[in-house]
Amino acid sequence: MSESGPSGRPTQALHPDDRDDQHAHSAVPYFAVWIALLFFTALTYMTGKQHLGTWALAIALTIACTKSALVALIFMHLKDSSGTTRLVFVTSLVFVALLLFFTVSDVATRFRPATPAGAPFGTERSQPEGLLEHELPE
Amino acid sequence: MRLSEADSHALAGATAAPTYLHDGTTVMSWLNTRDHKRVGVMFLVSVIFFFLIGGIFALLLRFKLLEPGPFFVEAIGYNRLFTLHGIVMIFLFLIPSIPSAFGNFVLPLMLGTRDVAFPRLNLASFYLYLAGAVLAIWAMVHGGTDTGWTFYTPYSSTTATEVFPVLIAVFILGFSSILTGLNFIVTVHTLRAPGLNWMRLPLFVWGIYGTSVIQVLATPVLGITVLVVAVERVGGFGLFDPARGGDPVLFQHMFWFYSHPAVYIMILPAMGVISETVCAFSRKNPFGYKAIAMSSLGIAFVGFFTWGHHMFVAGQSTFNAGAFGILSMFVGVFTAIKVFNWVGTMYRGAISFKTPFAYICGFLYFLVFGGMTGVALATTSLDIHWHDTYFVVAHFHFIMVGASVMGFLAALHYWFPKMFGKMYPEGWGLVAASLIILGFNATFIPQFLLGNFGMPRRYYQYPEHFQALHVASTAGATLLGFGFLIIFIYLVIALKWGGRSESNPWRSKGFEWLTASPPPTHNFDEIPTITQMPHDYRTHEPSGVIRGS
Amino acid sequence: MHSNAGLPPGILGHHFSSLARQNEAMRLGMWLFLATEVLLFAGLFTGYTVYRFQFPEAFAECSRHLELTLGTVNTLVLITSSLTVALAIHYARTDQPRAAAICLVITLLFALSFLGIKAVEYAEHFHERSLPGKYYAYEAVKIPGAAMFFSVYFLMTGLHGLHVIAGMSVLSWILRRTLQGRYSSQYYTGLELGGLYWHLVDLIWIFLYPLLYLI
Repeated sequence: MSESGPSGRPTQALHPDDRDDQHAHSAVPYFAVWIALLFFTALTYMTGKQHLGTWALAIALTIACTKSALVALIFMHLKDSSGTTRLVFVTSLVFVALLLFFTVSDVATRFRPATPAGAPFGTERSQPEGLLEHELPE
Repeated sequence: MRLSEADSHALAGATAAPTYLHDGTTVMSWLNTRDHKRVGVMFLVSVIFFFLIGGIFALLLRFKLLEPGPFFVEAIGYNRLFTLHGIVMIFLFLIPSIPSAFGNFVLPLMLGTRDVAFPRLNLASFYLYLAGAVLAIWAMVHGGTDTGWTFYTPYSSTTATEVFPVLIAVFILGFSSILTGLNFIVTVHTLRAPGLNWMRLPLFVWGIYGTSVIQVLATPVLGITVLVVAVERVGGFGLFDPARGGDPVLFQHMFWFYSHPAVYIMILPAMGVISETVCAFSRKNPFGYKAIAMSSLGIAFVGFFTWGHHMFVAGQSTFNAGAFGILSMFVGVFTAIKVFNWVGTMYRGAISFKTPFAYICGFLYFLVFGGMTGVALATTSLDIHWHDTYFVVAHFHFIMVGASVMGFLAALHYWFPKMFGKMYPEGWGLVAASLIILGFNATFIPQFLLGNFGMPRRYYQYPEHFQALHVASTAGATLLGFGFLIIFIYLVIALKWGGRSESNPWRSKGFEWLTASPPPTHNFDEIPTITQMPHDYRTHEPSGVIRGS
Repeated sequence: MHSNAGLPPGILGHHFSSLARQNEAMRLGMWLFLATEVLLFAGLFTGYTVYRFQFPEAFAECSRHLELTLGTVNTLVLITSSLTVALAIHYARTDQPRAAAICLVITLLFALSFLGIKAVEYAEHFHERSLPGKYYAYEAVKIPGAAMFFSVYFLMTGLHGLHVIAGMSVLSWILRRTLQGRYSSQYYTGLELGGLYWHLVDLIWIFLYPLLYLI
């Protein structure tokens, strides 16, 4: 990011919003994105009602991420924004993932009695798999 | 490279324009300022005030600990004392201190610009800080909290003390911290002077930048955590309450996700100060500029991956404990890189043993030993023995007081002439530094021993055979207190009656010394064009040369 | 490069060398702020994930008892309000301030409807006692973890609702500025930043909707 002079970056590097061609700006992409968002909402509604078990969450999140990408890139102009701005947004998502990962990994790999009261399962059994010695048939 | 006339006048001490201190002398001109320098000074006064409050809490609790049994305060009173000591020191002093006081003052000067990116937001940061501080004081006056600064649930969501206002105060202070960090990041990205590319940024700027990234990313998680606890207190939502199916360890995950990176918020700016002063007082270029710069980012990044090392015995899974233990080791690498580079800078330098350099020495000693004990604590098997003992307390005080506060004091003395145009008394400076370093060792080395022998932290009563070490620690704390008192006194005297200092008494090559001390409100008559590396002591050009744009 | 002449007074800060540079700074600042908002909600998403993982039946059952129709309508409302705010910015930058103002008003109306629908849902929860933590007394679902679902539900939708209100204040503020003629093809960054905030409110709901209503 070296400077070319006191007045700032050269024109080509300017955000499209800062260039002198405002009057050519079109609203069509916004409507297109809106239609797409309506479609994806309908899709998630329908797939959600199917109660697809283990896949449900993955599908729902994929659709949500797609919708978010559309909003972020087009409505919020992330597509046209500087690399720094995009880096800021992506970094925040990375750190959300980080927080989620280690917290969920804790709960997912924890010793069973340490899970909250009423939780129907923990992943690590406090007893060995199968029957205990005194339960074996004679 | 020539000086503009106005600047050469200013550097000669004559005032072409009024300094920022004299440009408007009404109270309102300060309270409604857009000037980053005034905001910095207001922050400086505030954080010093709260440092003294936090210090008083410390002395009070150490006084109680002279006796093993009930003495001086009751148990719950003692709990309030250590809680408030932690809250005040961390949220009202350590987190804001160097960034909001010195960062605010010096960052735009180092970047060769006239202000931070969002001056009004900067002022808002200060008022948010004050609001949080006032709320915290209100809570303290009404008895404060007894939860420890870590607010572990379900105790914090159920205890009858004034937790709610303190949680809100922490939320507000967090917001202030976020806005400061945001402002600094944007300033560094968009307001650098011509010629100042990223690899010419002063090392203090790199430190502040890394700090700001942490502030922006981590603090919101603290915000939501304290908010949820506050809602729990009022509404019984049970998110962290085992009686309602909640998980107290979830609180700890969310809390430490912020609070571990927070300790890097507290140390990175101090490291930045040391980078600046080590070069100035060794009159030498940094041994490895890129290494120091990149390690600031490295610490900021890796610091986020380690929070579970506070929870080794909390009940998290062994997978997590193992993962966090290993990841915690990496932070040590970046810190070590910095230490080697600083020592390499000093080696064969022309050392000028002024007060800031005394603090550099103290800083290095405390950082190395504090840091090594940190790595030891991050070893899961060792932590089983040391967790929640005085060993941990000694470790983090070595870093936070030993290193962070030394960095703060180095900054205070280094930039005192820059900010106020006055000089502190050098002899007294060295006396105070010696007392502080001595007193600090006397306070906290006994605590390493206490912890290793099994003395738990936050305990009101203790077995008699620990008393000798506790008495030693309290004696050290008293000495430490004296040291700080001496500094406070001579700085106030220097401000009011001290001699005028030169514009650049240290002959430092830092960019902030290119303008007058104290600077005029608009910082530079003409925005400089930077053509040299920062901290470049190879050239024999007189400092203070700029080229007008 | 834009010339700085002809700008309404008080727009260009004295410390910025050019409007382009200031715009860049404002955008970066707003995105940094949005990042903090994302991380604020991340804490709640973490709580959600942990408890859904531990009480899968209760979460699924309670989710089925939410008003899916209202939730879906609210999703459509917010998506459309995102469109209208994007259009407002479009009209401002093509020098059609009246159309921009109208779009902002429509956005505000959508925001208000969102809150209205949410209020109806909340009223229903209060009525049937499907409430968080200690207040839970919902007859239809009596398995462990049900109260926790509603704790998480109220925290997430409550915080989101607060952000809708904040977003409405922001929108009202930029509506006022639009009516004062502050925005044009030369400068509309303030409007853009307000729009960005509103889009974030929509983004959060895009995740809340399937995670709460469609388990």
